[in-house]
Amino acid sequence: MFDGLVLLGAGVAHFLTPGSLFNVVWATLLGLVIGILPGLTATMGVALLVTLTYKMQADQAILTLMCVYLGAIYGGSRTAILLNIPGTPANAAATLDGHPLALQGKAGLAMGLATTSSTLGTLVGIFFLAIIAPILSEAALKFGSYEFFWLALFGVVISGQMTGSDTPLKGYIAGILGLLVAMVGMETLHAHQRFTFGIPALGGGVDIIPAMVGAFGLAEILSSMKRTAVANIVPVNDRVVPTLREIFQYWKTIIRSGIIGTFVGIIPGVGEDVGSWSSYAAAKKASKHPEEFGKGSQEGLIAAETGDNAVVSAAMIPTLTLALPGSAAAAVLIAAMLIHGIRPGPMLMVENPIFLYQVVAMLLLATLANLIFGLSLTKVFIKVLSVPRERLMAVIYVLCVVGSFAITQRLFDVYVMLFFGIVGFLLREMKFPMAPLVLGIVLGDLLDLNLRRGLMLTNGDPTPFFTRPISAVICLIIVATILMSIPSVSKRVRPLFSRGRGTADAQG
Amino acid sequence: MSMPDTSEEAVRARADLITACLLVALGVAVVYFSWTMDRLEVRRINPATIPGLVPLFLGIALTICGSLLVLRSWKLSAPGSGALLLQLLFSWTSLRVLVVLGLALVFTLGLMGRMPFWLAAGLFIFAFIVLFETVMADTPKPIVPALLWALGIAAVGGGGTYYVFERIFLVRLP
Repeated sequence: MFDGLVLLGAGVAHFLTPGSLFNVVWATLLGLVIGILPGLTATMGVALLVTLTYKMQADQAILTLMCVYLGAIYGGSRTAILLNIPGTPANAAATLDGHPLALQGKAGLAMGLATTSSTLGTLVGIFFLAIIAPILSEAALKFGSYEFFWLALFGVVISGQMTGSDTPLKGYIAGILGLLVAMVGMETLHAHQRFTFGIPALGGGVDIIPAMVGAFGLAEILSSMKRTAVANIVPVNDRVVPTLREIFQYWKTIIRSGIIGTFVGIIPGVGEDVGSWSSYAAAKKASKHPEEFGKGSQEGLIAAETGDNAVVSAAMIPTLTLALPGSAAAAVLIAAMLIHGIRPGPMLMVENPIFLYQVVAMLLLATLANLIFGLSLTKVFIKVLSVPRERLMAVIYVLCVVGSFAITQRLFDVYVMLFFGIVGFLLREMKFPMAPLVLGIVLGDLLDLNLRRGLMLTNGDPTPFFTRPISAVICLIIVATILMSIPSVSKRVRPLFSRGRGTADAQG
Repeated sequence: MSMPDTSEEAVRARADLITACLLVALGVAVVYFSWTMDRLEVRRINPATIPGLVPLFLGIALTICGSLLVLRSWKLSAPGSGALLLQLLFSWTSLRVLVVLGLALVFTLGLMGRMPFWLAAGLFIFAFIVLFETVMADTPKPIVPALLWALGIAAVGGGGTYYVFERIFLVRLP
């Protein structure tokens, strides 16, 4: 307990230098701008910025990327409130009440509430990150190949299940496609080339950064330029800073949404948008005034913004302890950490225990910067919204090219970016989620290596995959998740649970 | 056969049907290539650890999921959705996407590496802005201000990218 506090203090002190604070300021401002501009997502911002941090020290690079990530997730609420367009997909739920509030002449208050609730959401997530991550990390040291195989599969399955908006089937397909992409190149067990078709450049496999820049960069540019209509910005004439009473009358909503966001963040690959929607739905269910939701409910806006920001901090829990990204942006962070020589996973707490607390310190600094800039630079950020996307997207594409090329300096990676941009755009147009695809690419090697390593240890006997306690539990969860996504099964199972609950209620 | 609620859903169901067929084909291809992948018998490796094992499972899973999507989309497909899909493919929206893609391909495959990066990037930015502020815009802007803006942003964007990455962050550009 006290060791943790000492390490946290050391982590915060480590970043209280002019150089670190300078990085916090510019990266948070850049993140806010990325979030505010519709069509640019947090994942895209983080993926593009990896190139810029390439020559930095590892801690400063991750600090910068974390500030961009947090800033972008928060910044998107501005666009949701003033334009009725979510700045990032995570802010979609904030449009429901944020924009009606703005239309009622309370745009400033809405932005103030979004800012403070985002800050509080991040703080709840940070609290759980500091508590859960060391415990999980210790537990993960006992995991073997069998458990890691199931964990990798669990990440892809659950992400597919929860992000497939049209049908879970599309989420599963996106996950499988991602896993297949990860199969390309030299496999690690026997050094055999798979699916390279004689192309030498494919021998090294598909790098995650160019793939992400394509799927989240070029695909976003194409989606954004597809639209012709431009929305009008709602003017801001009221106060931006909310009173303490305005915030703390919703303390239950804030805590509930923070916990929901944290839970969603811990589940690999699910991400901020699910955290935001789940918190919004729970707040509506628990509210004394559910009829106000969607018509300018302050409670609804607070729930949505607390939920998505809590996910950001909580997503670091599986990212750091298990190397399973909690969100798509966290997947890029894993790639960035590996580039900078930091190996996330169970060994992190053994090899580099201070890094976990440095991440907590990074999140604290980024949150503080968000709060200060969010409340003080309202008018400046509104000006950002008036930048025409024709002028912006052209420059963004150039950055996509540079971002894909610069890390390994191969033109092949630029072609990878183009391929994933086109495929990502087509898949997105058909409502295939991107998060399972990305997670599949990241987790493919973990899944493949651990399955075959586990089978090698048992000379081909798969029994331990099903009989070891943790393996069996994760396996059961996966099977239940897949079964519940079959409509005929879930139709029969759901009444059993509601009947059980009804009986319990009657007895109580 | 259940009917989709809107024409957008009908179009998506038809597009899903085509995509699902392609996915099934991909799944079958993956199964084939995994099955015929080198089993490394000469190295006496355990058959349970062959390189094609996981891709084989993934190929089977993709074929199953793709087939289920074929069934689902088949049930949802509404009469006339094929014509609506064609209409969408030949719409103004699609043309805008194709123009962006065309510009991106010309810049990436045609210009890059054949001239200094700042010039290639500048040309791309200039063409992009001019096209989308004039020819491709719903309400075109006057040509002279559009050209001036495009020129300015191309110079700052192309030159700025080169300066920041190559000079400040010492990242080599193509």
